[in-house]
Amino acid sequence: MEKKEKVSVKICVGTACFVQGGADLLLYQDFLDPVVLAGCDIQGVSCIGGCKDDAMQVRPPYVEIAGQVFGEMTQEKLCKLLQEAIHA
Amino acid sequence: MLELNNQYTTIKRQVHTAVLKQFFQDTLVENVDKIPIQLIPKQRTSNRCCIYKERAMVRYRIMALLGFDIETEDDEMKSLSSYVQEIMEEDKPLSPLLTTISTACSSCPPDRYMISEACRGCFARPCLANCPKDCITFSGGKAHIDESRCIRCGKCMEVCPFHAVVHIPVPCEQACPVDAVKKNADGYVEIDWDKCISCGKCAMSCPFGAIVERSSIMTVAKKIKNKDHMTAIIAPAIEGQFPGTLTQIKGALLAAGFSSVIEVSEGAHETCLHEADELAARKREGTGFMTTSCCPAYMNLVDKHLPFLGGRRSSALSPMAYTAMLAKKRNKETSVIFIGPCLAKKDEASALGTIDGVLTFSELASLFVAKGIDVREMDTTDSEDVSYFEDCREFALSGGVAACVSKRAAVGDEISLFQVNGIDRKMVRVMKTWEKRPVDADLVEIMCCEGGCINGPGVVAKPSVALRLRGGNKASRPVEAMRAILKQKE
Ligand code: SF4
Ligand code: SF4
Ligand code: FES
Repeated sequence: MEKKEKVSVKICVGTACFVQGGADLLLYQDFLDPVVLAGCDIQGVSCIGGCKDDAMQVRPPYVEIAGQVFGEMTQEKLCKLLQEAIHA
Repeated sequence: MLELNNQYTTIKRQVHTAVLKQFFQDTLVENVDKIPIQLIPKQRTSNRCCIYKERAMVRYRIMALLGFDIETEDDEMKSLSSYVQEIMEEDKPLSPLLTTISTACSSCPPDRYMISEACRGCFARPCLANCPKDCITFSGGKAHIDESRCIRCGKCMEVCPFHAVVHIPVPCEQACPVDAVKKNADGYVEIDWDKCISCGKCAMSCPFGAIVERSSIMTVAKKIKNKDHMTAIIAPAIEGQFPGTLTQIKGALLAAGFSSVIEVSEGAHETCLHEADELAARKREGTGFMTTSCCPAYMNLVDKHLPFLGGRRSSALSPMAYTAMLAKKRNKETSVIFIGPCLAKKDEASALGTIDGVLTFSELASLFVAKGIDVREMDTTDSEDVSYFEDCREFALSGGVAACVSKRAAVGDEISLFQVNGIDRKMVRVMKTWEKRPVDADLVEIMCCEGGCINGPGVVAKPSVALRLRGGNKASRPVEAMRAILKQKE
């Protein structure tokens, strides 16, 4: 079987995201399932621009999963989205 | 205590950011009355009874942010813009530091124990056997508690094999270590200022956001706009509260409009030297234990509830007080703004008179967001020597103060330590016994917040996050260097 590529996950650690709940996401080592952790390549990245984009429908904190930006991220939401992403 | 990030903190941060943004765009007076509607649009699914109540709450949060005391200064006929105009004229005093919104208070029913659906009416009935007041009765195959006789000891809850007994506290009352939160005649929350020690625990516990801080951020925002000379003195707990290193946080403060930044750890070094000397003298005289004096909530506790500890407190000033002196020494004209995780510091600041404003990390966060400042984009170059006070950054953690004092004690002086890590009701009872049975230690370190200042009521990141981010760099005082870089950018 071919080895699956890891899902790229970028957690925004720009100030706007960090102070609006994004800080909690940095504990991902603790709250994500080991299988999910193994299937993802998770990084903290500088402001991805969402906070300055007036057209954004959702509020910070933002996380980019495989190229798609999600907002109002919480630990629970991230667990669920990444579960789906690694099985996609 | 509530989890730090919740719906309430989210909306609070949104309100604060929106107000500050308008303020810096010089449009606050015109637009402030629109903010409640913008933040709570018609389409929103409300977390309260309806969007209109939510909007009313936003209005109150804006009043508190502006520095008004909602209990005494709420005039429903008055527009928010006239409140704004008022504070443009005159700064509000620092205390009282909390204010309550009675229409937000859900007047939670008195603390009680209740038997839930889960009760199976079992044969052994350990609840019945263990209740010291015989207030459990059985009817319809289930246990019931006779409210009028219940003394809320919780025995039934401990013994029920089905976890069928639930304890429903009144969050604000339960959180207060000194019984200062009460209900008034109408059943709404009220704070007894004669008892309150300003720990902020009630505000962090109310699930309805009915107890709010009266902010002094507008005092600072006005100074920023006027380009007044301001020195930010930053509490040791700041590291880990924002993304990026301590050096970058200092850079962000300069970018936000502060003229200079000094770490309160520098003043903490002074506190430690003083405490180490004093401790040595007390040991020589054999007068018994001495407590630290840097936690202002503890200082209030002693003044209001445990006066016998008065003479036990170190006479050292707090790190904030020494740092304010340093700031004034470096520039006589400067306004000193303390930035920390603490609400009680506002009491200390009003008593001292050398501090011109107190901000919490959470308020600073809104300032950064409103001004579009990203801490991580600041320069990371360190400069200057901080080695003599660097260890005092540990003042932010429980155990840190004692460690720094011990380090500064004369060689050969063995200091025995005792730690009070967080003050709750139980701890207050323990401390009361010290009158008859003094603590068997030389130095008693006392922190009102469990874990230390990194768990204070004004934090942005919870301790587990902050601890990971702390110590990222051995930052120094790069203030001069940072200013040069910012100038170049202009
Ligand atoms: S917890 Fe909040 S809503 Fe409940 S009584 Fe206290 S202040 Fe009111
Ligand atoms: S002592 Fe603390 S918990 Fe009690 S009323 Fe004052 S701030 Fe609230
Ligand atoms: S800070 Fe996260 S998008 Fe800007």
